[in-house]
Amino acid sequence: MSMAKLGDPSHELAMRVLTEVDFELRLNGFILRERAGALPVTMYSFEEIVSLLNDPYPRVDFNELEGWVRETVGDAELAERIAEAIRKGNNDQDRTYLIRDLMEERLSQCKMEGYYEENIA
Amino acid sequence: MNGYAGKILRIDLTDRRISTIYTKDYEQWVGGHGMGSAIFWDLVKDKAVSGFDPRNIVTVMTSPLSGTLVPGASSRTEVQGIGVQSSPIEWFTRSNFGGRFAPMLKYAGWDGVVIEGKADKPVWVDIRNEDVKIKDARHLWGLDTWKAQQEIWKEVSGHGFSGWVELDSERRTTQRPAVLTVGPAGENLSRTACLIHDAGNASGQGGFGGIWGSKNLKAISVIGTGSIQIADPKGLMEARLWAQAKYSMDLKNIDASWFARFGRKRPQNRFWDPHESARLQACIGCHLGCKERSDTGYGNESTCEETAFYAGYDKAKHGGKQTSAAYIATDLLQKYGINSYEATRGLTYIRALQRMGVLGRGKRLECDLDFRKLGETEFADAFLNMIAYRKGIGDDFAEGFFRAAKRWGRLEEDLKTGILPYSYWGLPEHGYDPRAEVEWGFGSILGDRDINEHDFNFLFWWPSGAIWAGKTPQPPAEQVVKIVAEKLIPYENNPLMLDFSTDNIYSDHIAKLVAWHRHYTRFWKQSVLYCDHRWPEFINSKVPGYKGLTGEGEPRFFNVVTGKKFSFVDGMELGKKIWNLDNAIWTLQGRHRDMVHFSDYIYNVLFAGSGNYAIYYLPGREKGWWDYICVNGRHLDKAKFEEFKTRFYNLEGWDSRTGWPKKGTLESLGLKFVADELEKKRKIGV
Repeated sequence: MSMAKLGDPSHELAMRVLTEVDFELRLNGFILRERAGALPVTMYSFEEIVSLLNDPYPRVDFNELEGWVRETVGDAELAERIAEAIRKGNNDQDRTYLIRDLMEERLSQCKMEGYYEENIA
Repeated sequence: MNGYAGKILRIDLTDRRISTIYTKDYEQWVGGHGMGSAIFWDLVKDKAVSGFDPRNIVTVMTSPLSGTLVPGASSRTEVQGIGVQSSPIEWFTRSNFGGRFAPMLKYAGWDGVVIEGKADKPVWVDIRNEDVKIKDARHLWGLDTWKAQQEIWKEVSGHGFSGWVELDSERRTTQRPAVLTVGPAGENLSRTACLIHDAGNASGQGGFGGIWGSKNLKAISVIGTGSIQIADPKGLMEARLWAQAKYSMDLKNIDASWFARFGRKRPQNRFWDPHESARLQACIGCHLGCKERSDTGYGNESTCEETAFYAGYDKAKHGGKQTSAAYIATDLLQKYGINSYEATRGLTYIRALQRMGVLGRGKRLECDLDFRKLGETEFADAFLNMIAYRKGIGDDFAEGFFRAAKRWGRLEEDLKTGILPYSYWGLPEHGYDPRAEVEWGFGSILGDRDINEHDFNFLFWWPSGAIWAGKTPQPPAEQVVKIVAEKLIPYENNPLMLDFSTDNIYSDHIAKLVAWHRHYTRFWKQSVLYCDHRWPEFINSKVPGYKGLTGEGEPRFFNVVTGKKFSFVDGMELGKKIWNLDNAIWTLQGRHRDMVHFSDYIYNVLFAGSGNYAIYYLPGREKGWWDYICVNGRHLDKAKFEEFKTRFYNLEGWDSRTGWPKKGTLESLGLKFVADELEKKRKIGV
């Protein structure tokens, strides 16, 4: 499934994408291994979620992730695109890859804005 | 005594006395855990002392198969004693590690080592065949586990790491001594401290590193030139060829659809990205090898949980790229000698406290760690160094994060929410959550520790991966449970033992599954020391009908080595006996059924969210049909778990009001002397 490019983020959005969130706004996921079970992963940043999605066996509730992007990050465009990926993916593996690619694209755009170092907590 | 060296080394560090226990005196327990529990019973008169008390002993035991060519059974070493990690009671517990130590101990002529007392200053034990010396270790004290081993290798071999090691005028070897040692964490009595052997073999659970530290014991080194008498050498080679022909995969022509455990393809058991260039490394006698040595020199021999410690933080910090930070952080765990489960769960926990504004510079819990550097080597080293040397708040961390939370007045609250993921006995959750994979959690809370026995995990792994990828799991659930149930002797052919649906998890069937698991592992895996990575094998796609090696393989290899005529059921019976002896020890330590319960979050918080997003599948029945069913999104019911305990105690012949073993049960297992002791202490079940 081909996906159109995301629009350029505003300066404010880039800052939010690159900023860690507080404990109450964390997102929980898992990475799975046969001989370790489901390792819980607590994520406090957009980049940590991208890292999780790049694991060979990631698990995250896509609807929670969409809500996190929409409400916590305030990125309506990306949230819509994630919702579209959830609908269009044939299975969770497909959805994971589609969402990962979208989030990697957004992260890359925001890092190009140059606000990375000073905004991480 | 085929398979045995014939004697066990007994070392009293207090009096610096070295003596011998004849293995024959404990042969009925076969080896490993069984012998260790029996020796502990005999030598530790007051079983309620602290693990740090000099009266506590540590047994380091091999099995008749150690050092032989039995596949996946030659290398494990069983460590036992009163641990210091669990809470509220420091249970008599166990740990286990691979590598070269057990075979080398056998080649030196010893079936095990029993460590008693406490030295008045740091010592190490130098074993060269029958020659055993307790030596001054002040020059080793303070060294990390790798440097300490290097120093001992040099001292024993006299000329570095190559060439012959002359043990006397007639005996020499090219092998390095096998060294088991503690790092700074053990020296500083951390309850999270491990025993480390070679680069990445750890006896991690129980805090045995701290116990050795309390005894002023830095290391045991062993080098041997002997061999082990095999009852039927031809039969052993035939058994190997039989297992290879029938169960092993063709590793040169790998098919992704294969499934097996004994004869599987290269293991995928790491959390970090694979090394670009590495070769497999195996324990002595193993037919596969699950560890690696890389051209970078980082992360050598580490596998499993310790590779999870820093891999994610490293990637998140470095734009999704795995850098050397992940591998070096794991190496630091090994060098300091710190339990990776404590470090991994503990770091998640204190990070949560940091994000809550509770922990950090100038916060209520003063902590110097700079979380902006999380993901860099510098942060990992600072965190682990604090634990190892008890620096600042690291003094709390070194107690284990359960005890740390208690010191901070946060324990009750953080166990209620589950942000402190310690589900049983104050110990970190492994990943097979009790709310989902109940045989793991139930076995742990009814025992002494996170069981760390992966016997049934394939039941989650195959369907959870396949369904995620949009495929139909193969074989179907009904076929899988039928094959596995056939092998659950003496409860065979009851597939309901593998029904993980919520309606069934508190049933007599699951009680039988938990009992089978306790008895199987106590004997075949922890006494005979078949490796958890390869045994048991229930299912193998190479075999018509998919029936794996288990049931036939275990006794066949055991018998050709020992010359005994053990059946699989004989082993299960002995496993039950050993399990009952352990429960008698826990009873004398103060166990009562009222304290056998999970942390609050297991009863109050749903596992992995609402369950709307399915991540964890296991076999189960829905509306009478077998399928792989989603088991996340549920929590345990406390009242029903209490009912389950009653069922389990009744099944085991234990008093359901107390959980204590009954006299008749112990006597029927040949444990009258145990029953007598419990009766004398008024702790016998009725």
